[in-house]
Amino acid sequence: MSLLAADGITKRFAGITALDDVHIAVDEGERVGLIGPNGAGKTTLFNCLLGLLRPDAGSVSFDGQSITRLPIYRRARLGIGRTFQRVELFSGSSVRDHLLFAHRIRSGTGALWKDLLGLGLPKPAEIERCDTLLESLGLGGMGDEPIEALSLGQSRLVEVARALMTQPRVVLLDEPSSGLDRAETTALADTLARIQTEQGFGLLLVEHDVELVATFTERTYVLNFGKLITHGPTSEVMRDDEVRAAYLGDFVAGTS
Amino acid sequence: MTASVLAAGVVEETIRAFFQGLPIGAGFALVAMSFVLTYKTSGVFNLAFGAQAFISAATYFELHVRRDWPIWSAVLVAVVLVAPVLGLLLERLIFRHVHAASAVSKLVISLGLLVALPELFKLIVDYNREQPFGAVGIIPDGTTVYRLFGRYPVTRDEIAAFVIVVAAALALAALFRYTRLGLRIRAVVQSPRMTELNGVNADWVSSGSWMLSSLFAGLAGVLLVPTTPSLGTVLEPTGYFPIVISALAAAALGRLVSLPAAMFGGLALGVVTTQMRTHVPRDNVILAELQGPALPYVMLFAIIVFWPAIRRQVAGADPLLGVSPPPPALAATSRSRGMTIYTRIMALAFFTAVGIWTFGYANDFWISRITHSVIFSIIFLSIVVFTGLGGQIALCQVTFAAIGAFGAMQFAQRWDISVIVGMLAGAAIAAAVGAVLSIPVMRLGGIWLAIATLAFALFFHDVLVKYSWVGGSLFHGRGVPRPEFLGVDFSSRENFLILSIAILVLVGVLIILIRESSTGMALRALRGSETAAESIGVISWRSRVIVFSVSAAIAAIGGGLLAMEERLVGYEANFDPQTGLFWLVIVVVLGARTVEGGIQAGVAFVIFPELVLHRWFGLDGAWRFVLFGFAAISFARHPEGLLEHGKRRSQALMQRAFARRAPAMAAAGAGGAAETGEEP
Repeated sequence: MSLLAADGITKRFAGITALDDVHIAVDEGERVGLIGPNGAGKTTLFNCLLGLLRPDAGSVSFDGQSITRLPIYRRARLGIGRTFQRVELFSGSSVRDHLLFAHRIRSGTGALWKDLLGLGLPKPAEIERCDTLLESLGLGGMGDEPIEALSLGQSRLVEVARALMTQPRVVLLDEPSSGLDRAETTALADTLARIQTEQGFGLLLVEHDVELVATFTERTYVLNFGKLITHGPTSEVMRDDEVRAAYLGDFVAGTS
Repeated sequence: MTASVLAAGVVEETIRAFFQGLPIGAGFALVAMSFVLTYKTSGVFNLAFGAQAFISAATYFELHVRRDWPIWSAVLVAVVLVAPVLGLLLERLIFRHVHAASAVSKLVISLGLLVALPELFKLIVDYNREQPFGAVGIIPDGTTVYRLFGRYPVTRDEIAAFVIVVAAALALAALFRYTRLGLRIRAVVQSPRMTELNGVNADWVSSGSWMLSSLFAGLAGVLLVPTTPSLGTVLEPTGYFPIVISALAAAALGRLVSLPAAMFGGLALGVVTTQMRTHVPRDNVILAELQGPALPYVMLFAIIVFWPAIRRQVAGADPLLGVSPPPPALAATSRSRGMTIYTRIMALAFFTAVGIWTFGYANDFWISRITHSVIFSIIFLSIVVFTGLGGQIALCQVTFAAIGAFGAMQFAQRWDISVIVGMLAGAAIAAAVGAVLSIPVMRLGGIWLAIATLAFALFFHDVLVKYSWVGGSLFHGRGVPRPEFLGVDFSSRENFLILSIAILVLVGVLIILIRESSTGMALRALRGSETAAESIGVISWRSRVIVFSVSAAIAAIGGGLLAMEERLVGYEANFDPQTGLFWLVIVVVLGARTVEGGIQAGVAFVIFPELVLHRWFGLDGAWRFVLFGFAAISFARHPEGLLEHGKRRSQALMQRAFARRAPAMAAAGAGGAAETGEEP
């Protein structure tokens, strides 16, 4: 049984079928890609998995338990972490605060009476944990920086760090390469691969950048016009004619 | 036979109530259309329409009744001239410059205007509130009664109100359909940016719609006087609150964006009002309230909570919402160690000096003023908690303060229990009321939350206070003793001041603990990005309900102390909703994000009118409403508050000055990172 699984997801918007009977599954410790051209339904599927949208049909399950009707925060507390395509950070807070907030929410120590008795203040051990993770992501020494001072690549790493502090069992990455150049994308992918191997969480990468998916993932799903057109080991999927047609157009696929 | 006579009677009453309801609803419709017009064209949810309606009405009566101008010329000046010019000024001088601000900061500005405009008018015109004007309409012999179809009585005033509103609505429809300005307004509403790219000056469209909406508000202000009981014989801006609330309910029916829905909603609510008065039996206390003052608030609350269109609107992104700028880090977090020590020494010296003077030399008057400052600081800390930490606007802190005051009073009067216990019980009640009140509306957030809490504050003021189990009875009075507590008698002025200071310090420390602990972290995450906060598991509504309850309890403690200090619950002087609006304005203007900001606001609230305005400049105390009301405009640019902004600027200046003299020092003082991280 898969860790995170979507079965028969269908979603319609005002008569347009954005997703049509889509099945997808991610296991602990594996790196899975989800690709498709613009408008294929990647983001819609992503939102259904995370609880931002409720599918019209089908179900989402996590660790064997149905989470189709759970709100976003309950899914997060079960162990689904995510990053955002358009970086969503807590403006006005420092880098370390982002990690600290995530850790606090996850460990569930936030009761008002504890705060009022002064038991809710950040402890040195927690701060050290945050700094260790920052160090391993290459952000060492930046804990006190205001979040506005970071570059886009660094901001994405902070998002990853924030997601990791919730001790997720699966992390969903929403187009992490958008806005980054080739070198930055490679650096991000290397860091991600290293952390993922160390911690062993499952990873679902929703991407536009086929090259990143090809080098980074073990399995890949391909969406087009709301339908799953193929899935399998990444190297095979990349050779698939239908995939090439979806990306490069029928003419090129036909002549090749 | 008797049954059919009875049925005929019911039918006749229903029809009569229908005809009486239309003119009342016409007034709601006018104000509702004003709301929709400005909200659509400039994204401003202008609560100041109540003030604008008051100014037109007061101008009319000043001219017509006191100076004997003929009706037509008084109407011309008050409605056709004053109202649109006021609208134009507001748009040109204020709202145009805050176009990109968030909906909530625009709401704060309009609250400031709602406080400032009527007071400014009264100061300029030398308006005499004691003068009973009488309910005079703009139609000669307005009280003449006609009988529609030979049996349903309506007055000339009522007919005029209905006809004028229908004519105004038709004119508005024609304007939209047939004129260039109308076409442009419709285009600007769809997409201001695209319209400007097509060569239309969106600013002019915005001015036009402000003049138009202000004209409507002024017209409503004048027309509604004869038919509105709350305007009675003394014309006061607060008299317009029930109308504004009903109009908000009507506008909410159309999600604040549909003009036809606002108009028909207004007429329908007017008819509902009179039907309730006619048909709901009076033998039950709750039903009797529903026929009268409670109705507008209950309608508004019900519409906000249950009308599905509002939920959908909140779920979808609001296109008119500006991008709110990220709240900058507090100045205190980025200053160097030297600056911190210097600041602390100065603060210690200041408080020591004030303490020595207060307990050694001050007379009773000043001790009482200082105690008031301390108590208002506690009350204002409740606004720091909800608005500064929670990032939301609530307009019913004044109600929670009143609950604390009445709690202390009731426990002492009824059961002879210590006022301290009564105050704490009041705080617990306020926290519970806050939780119950906020659960249905907290998901909506933003301006809906502000409106719903305003409706609750007015509901408390107009309905609940009159019950003896809340506001006490005439027979017992509203006396509150000073406490005796842990064997110490706090009845002397000095001792009570010490008790107040101790509670202020305790509340301040608790707020800082909350801010730095888990609850504060969740709130800061929510302020930074709600979607990201939920993605790490923050339960947004729960965090906000908790912080709202905490804030309610703090306000109630402050309210209880105020009653003990004054030895009675001065409800009318301290706790009416208009005062509550001013509280919010003064706190956000001076700085809602820090404990010091709240304390400075408390001191300013009490000392400023007495010392600066009255003694130094010889001005009327009412100028404080005008000054702070207009200062709310600064909120759009400096949401951290003027004091915090000033601190940050002077800090930057000093650091730059030091940098010029000693580059080495600047390196040490450049930021918190250098101070804690780099040095070995």
